[in-house]
Amino acid sequence: MLIQNNLNNSNKIFFVGACALLLGACGNEDGAGPGGMGSNDDSSGETIQLNIMQGKVEFNTQFNELADQYMAENDNVQIEITSVGGGTDYFTQLTTRFSSGDEPDIFSVAGPNEIEQFQDTMADMSDTDAAAAALEGTIENVTHDDGRIDAIPYNLEGYGFVYNMEVFEQAGIDPEALSTYEELRDAVETIDSQKETLGIEAVFALPGAESWVMGDHLANVYLSPELNESPLEAYNAETLAFERADEFQRMLDLQVDYSIEPVLSLDYSQQVEEYFSLGQVAMIQQGNWIYPTLEQMDPEFAESNVGMIPIPLEGYEDRLPVGVPNYWAVNDNNDDATVQAAKDFLDWMYLSDEGKDFVVSEFNFVPAYEGYEDLEISDPLSQIVYDYSQSGDTLGWVFTGFPTGYQLNEFGPNLQAYIGGEMTWEEAIEASKEAWESMRQ
Amino acid sequence: MKNKEMTFWLFITPVLLSLSLVVILPVLMGIFYSFTNWDGLNFTAFVGMDHYRRLIGDEQFLQSLWFTVRFALTSIILLNVIGLGLALLVTSKLKSRNLLRTIFFMPNLIGGLILGFIWQFIFIRVFSTIGDVIGVEVLKGWLSTPATGFWGLVILTVWQMAGYIMIIYIAYLQGVPKELMESAEIDGATPGQKFRHVIFPLIAPAFTVTMFLTLSNSFKIYDQNLSLTGGGPYNSTQMVAMNIVDTAFSGNQMAYGQSKAIVFFVIVAIISLSQVYYNKKREVDL
Repeated sequence: MLIQNNLNNSNKIFFVGACALLLGACGNEDGAGPGGMGSNDDSSGETIQLNIMQGKVEFNTQFNELADQYMAENDNVQIEITSVGGGTDYFTQLTTRFSSGDEPDIFSVAGPNEIEQFQDTMADMSDTDAAAAALEGTIENVTHDDGRIDAIPYNLEGYGFVYNMEVFEQAGIDPEALSTYEELRDAVETIDSQKETLGIEAVFALPGAESWVMGDHLANVYLSPELNESPLEAYNAETLAFERADEFQRMLDLQVDYSIEPVLSLDYSQQVEEYFSLGQVAMIQQGNWIYPTLEQMDPEFAESNVGMIPIPLEGYEDRLPVGVPNYWAVNDNNDDATVQAAKDFLDWMYLSDEGKDFVVSEFNFVPAYEGYEDLEISDPLSQIVYDYSQSGDTLGWVFTGFPTGYQLNEFGPNLQAYIGGEMTWEEAIEASKEAWESMRQ
Repeated sequence: MKNKEMTFWLFITPVLLSLSLVVILPVLMGIFYSFTNWDGLNFTAFVGMDHYRRLIGDEQFLQSLWFTVRFALTSIILLNVIGLGLALLVTSKLKSRNLLRTIFFMPNLIGGLILGFIWQFIFIRVFSTIGDVIGVEVLKGWLSTPATGFWGLVILTVWQMAGYIMIIYIAYLQGVPKELMESAEIDGATPGQKFRHVIFPLIAPAFTVTMFLTLSNSFKIYDQNLSLTGGGPYNSTQMVAMNIVDTAFSGNQMAYGQSKAIVFFVIVAIISLSQVYYNKKREVDL
């Protein structure tokens, strides 16, 4: 999940994390009773304890259910899950757990920076079935030249312009036909001129307070070509050229000019919940992760009234930015049995029939693995992401390879300063280039 | 004598132990780490003064330091004026004074994060709605510019802490002897003169306490900052504490963040100590 800076979320996340800890602790005690009793008459069962720490808190409940099911089938495995959410919080806590010696056996990592820091503790995953079944493009970034694989993908996520079908229909525009900037701009102007009859407040809702929407996602579209769509290339890049800065600027301007005002204090929850799900705007730049929120707000609207189109990019028309937000890594500082048990669990989760069913219908994941062809994806936005990834019309995510804190502390604020009129576009881009270079030293 | 000494140490050891474990030791470790390239897990080299040299040219850090200073000065003045005003109000002969005391103190019982979100709603939604209705442009777009972000933070802090400061002033105001007030009245002092020449010197110790509290509090604010503005727009309302956390945790530059924290610690210590020293000298003993 990409909502790293959303406080609303991280609050919930803390709470859920705490609950998970509590529940986990209780579950443990419960489990210890029967286990201890059983060992009297059956000496074969040596219990393996798997501590999982992961940073995607939205599917914590379902993940625990899946773990329960696995434990029911495998008496000798005890799984304890800690879910901590929202980018920075998670990584800090992961670091803390490692430095305090309370190392998890399975943990999630988000990108090259995090992988690099925990490289020494990661087991080679190349012997797992899941690694072999991972879709093309999802695992190359964590594969070394000698075939060693550091981690396996969680799922796929994709973003673009999520649009309100009804508004487009009434305005007589086919959103799927908008593949260039000019076409999009004309459509935006048409919709803007009919705002009142369409019953919307503005065309876009750009959450300027959430710098990741611009600094990670939008920028990714325009930085992808020069970084060969590879987060690893981004991770190794000493400098940024910003070859497509002009294209980036006009798209940002378009969203700012036709957005709900004031842009700079608009946040994620206003954008998604208040403006989009209540039909106040025609489209927003977001991804398939907003679906559960839309569904909560208005199930009918979510099911039948939303679609997603790619962000126009010259020479890369109709390609949706799709990437892997998180990876699973197994801690190598354990005995072989524990490492193997951890790998078995991950294999089971993504490749067994029960696991697959859970992944698609309970986790609402867009699968990053082969063998899901017969399963039905549960929501329309995820279906779109899945379709694009199947047809290969995708644009790689490079922002996961940005220097740590680059977007949050440098790039994002520069873009906000541009929107606020504090910097010119040239200044903002120049400052962002310099920041990149100094952070890469 | 020996017994007394033993009791002394017996009583002081737990505090001393916990203080050194959770305050002194971490500070010393922090100073040590600020000279290394520590990444949160381990360090490979000593970098000497590198981090501190880099600090001097770190515009964002200097900017947040300056913002914090401006914020602290503004809120200290407002807090003390309003706190004292409220205290005078609720020690007067008003009928509703007990109720008012409770009401004024209430905001203090709400956590900073929640307050931040509540005020965010007020500034962004309520303000702009009122602005629409009465046609005042100033009320629109709050928190989307550096100036409104600054005043938003000041208003939030003053609203939250004024009640607390009020309680301290009440305690001292009630300690002002009736005889003195009466004799001043007999001498023909106006209410203004009474306040200036009798009450004011007698509640001077309260200034020491409240100035210390407000100063250190306004410098260390983090949660209100995080939930109200999140440092935005473009990090213009980012305070030092937040800058340090961002550097250390989201920028993952633990050692550099640590060196910022040390500098911050030294600055706050110098200001607080000199201010306590100065105020102590001015206090009047009865």
